[in-house]
Amino acid sequence: MAHRSPCKPWRLCKPWEHQLSRRHWLGGVAGGALAMAGLRGPALAAELEKTQKQVLFVWLDGGISQLESWDPKPGTQFGGPFRAIATSVPDIRVSELLPRTARQMHHLALVRSLCTQDNAHSSGVARIQRGDPKNRGVTYPFFGSAVVRLLGPGDSGLPPYMWVKPGNGGFLPGDAGFLGPKYGALALGDGKPPENLPRPESLTAADDDLRNSLRERANRRYAARRRAEASQANDQVFDMAAQLKKRMDLFDASTFPARDVERYGTHELGRHLLMARRMLEAGVRFVKVGSYGWDTHGDNFNGHLSLVPKFDQAFAAIIEDLAERAMLDRVLVIAMSEFGRTPRINGHVGRDHWPEAWSLAMAGSGLKRGIAVGATNDKGTFVATEEYDIGHMFHTWFHALGIDSAAIEYDNQGQPLPVANEACHLVKEVLA
Amino acid sequence: MAADPSELLKRYEPKMAKTVDLDRQMVTLRYSPCGKLLLAGDFDGMVRRWDANGEELQNLAPLAGHGGWVTALTFHGDGHRVFTSDSWGQLRAWPYAEAAPQPAWAVAQAHDGWIRAIACSPDGQNVATCGSDKQIRVWSADDGGKRHEFAAGEDVYSLAFHPSGALASGDLKGVVKHWDAAVGKCEREFDARGMYLYDRLQDVGGVRALAFDKAGTTLVCAGSQPKSGAFVQGSPLVLWFDWQSGNLKHTLKLGGENDGFVYDMSLHQDGFLMAVSSGQPGSGKLFFHSPDAEQPFFAATTMANCHALAVHPGGYRLAVSATNSSSNGNGRQLNGNKEYPGNFSPLYFWDLPQSS
Repeated sequence: MAHRSPCKPWRLCKPWEHQLSRRHWLGGVAGGALAMAGLRGPALAAELEKTQKQVLFVWLDGGISQLESWDPKPGTQFGGPFRAIATSVPDIRVSELLPRTARQMHHLALVRSLCTQDNAHSSGVARIQRGDPKNRGVTYPFFGSAVVRLLGPGDSGLPPYMWVKPGNGGFLPGDAGFLGPKYGALALGDGKPPENLPRPESLTAADDDLRNSLRERANRRYAARRRAEASQANDQVFDMAAQLKKRMDLFDASTFPARDVERYGTHELGRHLLMARRMLEAGVRFVKVGSYGWDTHGDNFNGHLSLVPKFDQAFAAIIEDLAERAMLDRVLVIAMSEFGRTPRINGHVGRDHWPEAWSLAMAGSGLKRGIAVGATNDKGTFVATEEYDIGHMFHTWFHALGIDSAAIEYDNQGQPLPVANEACHLVKEVLA
Repeated sequence: MAADPSELLKRYEPKMAKTVDLDRQMVTLRYSPCGKLLLAGDFDGMVRRWDANGEELQNLAPLAGHGGWVTALTFHGDGHRVFTSDSWGQLRAWPYAEAAPQPAWAVAQAHDGWIRAIACSPDGQNVATCGSDKQIRVWSADDGGKRHEFAAGEDVYSLAFHPSGALASGDLKGVVKHWDAAVGKCEREFDARGMYLYDRLQDVGGVRALAFDKAGTTLVCAGSQPKSGAFVQGSPLVLWFDWQSGNLKHTLKLGGENDGFVYDMSLHQDGFLMAVSSGQPGSGKLFFHSPDAEQPFFAATTMANCHALAVHPGGYRLAVSATNSSSNGNGRQLNGNKEYPGNFSPLYFWDLPQSS
């Protein structure tokens, strides 16, 4: 990008020209691009980039019922038909729909006292995944983008933020918010690589290099006259493609051991979590796995009888595998939705949205193991202990990854921004 | 029977007589064979009992001791016993008319988890149960001793005995099986797979109810033709099979995709179907349908969500257990006392014309 001298005497200067000067003074821009947010505390940031910490983020879209999973209330007014079962941790019981995960409870940390603000999917999903920060007129990054920005991309040589999901794939720069497209997510539809990734046989490697050289020259010329965001996303996609082309082996599902395929399950959540394990083993910084269809407003109990065992099978398998491979010390695992489900059972024998009192499950880096923090009342209607919003969890997750959320800030073109909602605090009880 | 819907309506149209609001939600509802008692299984592990002889229901001591939901109740033809089950796997037998009944016998783990249905054999010797553990088990009606068990291969939702003693089961994936219950051999299958859908990660649907006509010539299967999981959209679906040939004789797909499932049904002695359905909150129906017609000749849509149907043995009254209106909603909705209210089941009583 061309550098303009601020305050030429024959014209009024623009505010951004002074921001450029401020940015250089602060020294907070990693990579030097004008449009990306930097970090305050760059020495700290440099230290964080050395870490091998990773994240597995399992997103059950729609709202898994806490009463049919992590916080059962059998035999009560709203308890539903299912029983609670013992786990590998005395005094922690979960729904009978999670028998395999129950045997891995000694690796897990549950939080049963979430109370968040939004009972709508359309706003709630992003609000949760962005940590529901205070409104400062900017779009905060999703957790995955934030982790990649704060910890760096790592040295896997792969896109650092990958999302294994049903349906379509593609590059999602919007996840990065004000951080800039470089920190967007690469979505892998059904765990498959992006289309048209391999070089066609009719194109030689030498010709491919020439084409890329021409593309890069054209991009530089284009970018020179525009704000960086205009070309960043495009550059990022080609860089990712180049990275992925070198590791097409990652996507070959036929090389998974048959035993693992059976253990995780051949359903899409099983296949996708097995692919996620491979991504983590390859060093990908942040792996998100998405599952849809958890919004059980109707026939909730038969729905969860079908859905939860599939999650149970795959989630227990990956926890077991990460533990066996000594990866739980460096991988933070989170399994959650955008809210829970109403204790009240509606006329369609379903449960509706309930952000008032719900649960999530975690494991791994920086966390205690075999613990359940927080509680709801006897009926499971409201939180009986301290309520935790998603901002509390962001502080806690950053801390678990070695990021001091109080000591580091984003620098959004001169605007200092906290990395998590400053009205919230760590959930110390869950931290190791 | 007259095929003209207006004639059928004139002859059989029910009139709503009264509504009784209960305090909790019910799962199942049945009149005793003598018609004097009405029993309901609820979400709280209780079997409610009422003296239904007079104008007003009189509360009787409930049958206590189940866990989870009371999922099914079936009367023995001898007029003395009722069999009840729950979602925690327990099966019990009771002398239901006593003042303070105690179980005649109980099997604490008749199934591993949700018992879906109970059926009493025509000779009164056996009670069959099925459940989400994919098992069908046959018990002595006298003492609860296990006589047979067989793996059904899938979550089994419904059971019915043929007058001959053969057993029919309907499962989650829409497969109806004809069993020789004495040896646990599946003799043949009926295709009700239209009642099943795999949507994203979820198995949706199931054959929710089965019934034979009195002569045993027809097997009626009921559920939904699902369109999606999660919210669970689908249209109530009923299939009539000729028992001897196995051929599908008649299909009723009722209403739209918000109308959900047929939850319960009974065959009138004059051959038409009486059934209740429930879908999205507010989409409940009581309907009467003759299998030689395209659409029901009677449908009531004033009850929000209908889940159970009890037919008085005298044939002059129906009771429908439903869920109250305005039963759904996201987030914190407190009542006037700033408490979080649960939903409840109104019982709707319908009088049938005396000639029916």
